[in-house]
Amino acid sequence: MNWPAFWLSLQVNAIASIMILVAGLLIALMLVRTRFRGKILLETVIMLPLVLPPSVIGYYLLLAFGRGSPLFEWFNIRILFTWQAAVAASVVVGIPLMVQSSRAALANVDPVLENAARTLGASELRILWRVTLPLARRGILAGVILGSARALGEFGATLMITGNIPGRTQTLPVAIYDAVQAQRYADAHLMVLVMTGLALAGLLLARQLEPAPQYRRADDAESSV
Amino acid sequence: MTPQLTVDIIKRLGQTTLEMRFTAEAEILVLFGPSGAGKTQTLQAIAGLSTPDSGQIRFDDAIFFQRMPGKPVVNLPARKRRIGYVFQQYALFPHMSALENVAFPLGRRRDARDRAMELLERMHLAHLAQRMPHELSGGQQQRIAIARALAAEPHILLLDESFSALDRPVRERLHEEIRMVQAERRLVVLYVTHNLDDAFAVGHRLAVVRNGRIEQIGRINDVFTRPANRHVLDILGIPNAMNARVIETGPSGSLLDWDGIFLEAPPIDTPPGAEITAYIRPEDIRLVYPDRSLSRMVLHNHLEGIVVERRLERHMYRLRVALPDGRPIEVIYPSSLYATMNLTPGERVRLALRKESIVVIAPRERVSPPVGTILSERMHDAGAIDPASSSLT
Repeated sequence: MNWPAFWLSLQVNAIASIMILVAGLLIALMLVRTRFRGKILLETVIMLPLVLPPSVIGYYLLLAFGRGSPLFEWFNIRILFTWQAAVAASVVVGIPLMVQSSRAALANVDPVLENAARTLGASELRILWRVTLPLARRGILAGVILGSARALGEFGATLMITGNIPGRTQTLPVAIYDAVQAQRYADAHLMVLVMTGLALAGLLLARQLEPAPQYRRADDAESSV
Repeated sequence: MTPQLTVDIIKRLGQTTLEMRFTAEAEILVLFGPSGAGKTQTLQAIAGLSTPDSGQIRFDDAIFFQRMPGKPVVNLPARKRRIGYVFQQYALFPHMSALENVAFPLGRRRDARDRAMELLERMHLAHLAQRMPHELSGGQQQRIAIARALAAEPHILLLDESFSALDRPVRERLHEEIRMVQAERRLVVLYVTHNLDDAFAVGHRLAVVRNGRIEQIGRINDVFTRPANRHVLDILGIPNAMNARVIETGPSGSLLDWDGIFLEAPPIDTPPGAEITAYIRPEDIRLVYPDRSLSRMVLHNHLEGIVVERRLERHMYRLRVALPDGRPIEVIYPSSLYATMNLTPGERVRLALRKESIVVIAPRERVSPPVGTILSERMHDAGAIDPASSSLT
């Protein structure tokens, strides 16, 4: 078992999950609440990582963070071949799932409840915090779990932009590839089991959360005052 | 000083145009009319949940909404209007307990919980404070929704078909509650319903709404005894409306031509030749015994017809009679009356429409121009409305 790779994967995944949550939620809110030209195009672009080959994503990330890019030249962000690059790759592949799931959950919140909160003197921010997000929480959580499960398994793009430096940038999926290449099958076995277990747990959890139970209508409760 | 809500707004809604103009004081004003008439739209505009195209909504000195030529545009957000809004489907927050729901409008105030508890006690619900909405009956949920609306200390309370999903006894108790709360707090209450019983049970005044406008507004009894036009008759479900032409009128009475049937009616102002609408209440029609001499009361307006249907309703019979040309007439009489007469369907009867009971309401309305023209004229009056800037929210 390659423990450095395991811990690095967890670290990368933890940070990526937080970023997926925040960025994905903001994008989902924007898609639910606003109308603008080119909205469909933006939605499609966000979903693109779901279908693009990992090498294409890796290539784009190389362009985005490499010498000559705005991020490199103007903001002095130099993360290629560091573990932070693995975080970037994880976020890009995880966000589509987060956006999909949380967007559906946000759209499902009954607007009458938000209107009720408005008449009760609540600001839009308070409504979001106390009404909309709590009611959409299952879909949001499911989205984070799916997104971070996908991010945990990120391999192709990560391989291209982190440089696969054992102990420094090598994540678990990449370490498995390495172990197989070097014919260390016992190592690979164990790591494959760990990955499978994590993915399985994540999917089961997400499944539990996803179909939010319908709130029971009052009609079928007894009407006694 | 008595609080006063003034509404004068225009809003285009698909096919119809909402054109609401009324004032309400510390009272319960019932907005009554068929669904789609614009009642809910009116409440939403007052609460700030939708924005009218033009006009003004004012409460005492506070302007909630204003969009008029020569005056600055105002659109106070819903949260600053201090209006309690009680929805038909309760709209309790399903993830909060009863107590948390009522405390919601109180925000971070330190005494929020105590005050919420007081309100729950006031609505006789203290024992349910910790329950979640889905654990409560419809009536209990609606009481909590009322308590929550009152927690924000509103000056205006809007009830949007709030009780229509509830059983009759529950509804009656809530009506009582609303009347008490209204009196205690001197609230301006607007109560939207399509149920006339509700209107009578709770309302001080009645506004009959149709096609986005108020056809008539007044004390409930006045509206019922003096409906302003044919639409009001229809909406209130008053039968035996007739469109007739005035043949002659004098100090002792008038003569009407109801499509070939001549009727004597009380004196009216309308000159001969005018088209008018009149009606007679079903309970004011008498049946004439074939074998008895006529009393002085029923000398006029005898019509022959055939019984179509007879239904027993509580202590009265409702009789539907068809005149020879098929025109229907409805008669209501106490079940103790006419016991010796055979009034089963198919029987021939003679009706007497007492002259004094024929009520002539206003000359018949001219056919109103199509909605489009009204709107464009109005737009012209109100100064051009720029469609690009019509969303103010």
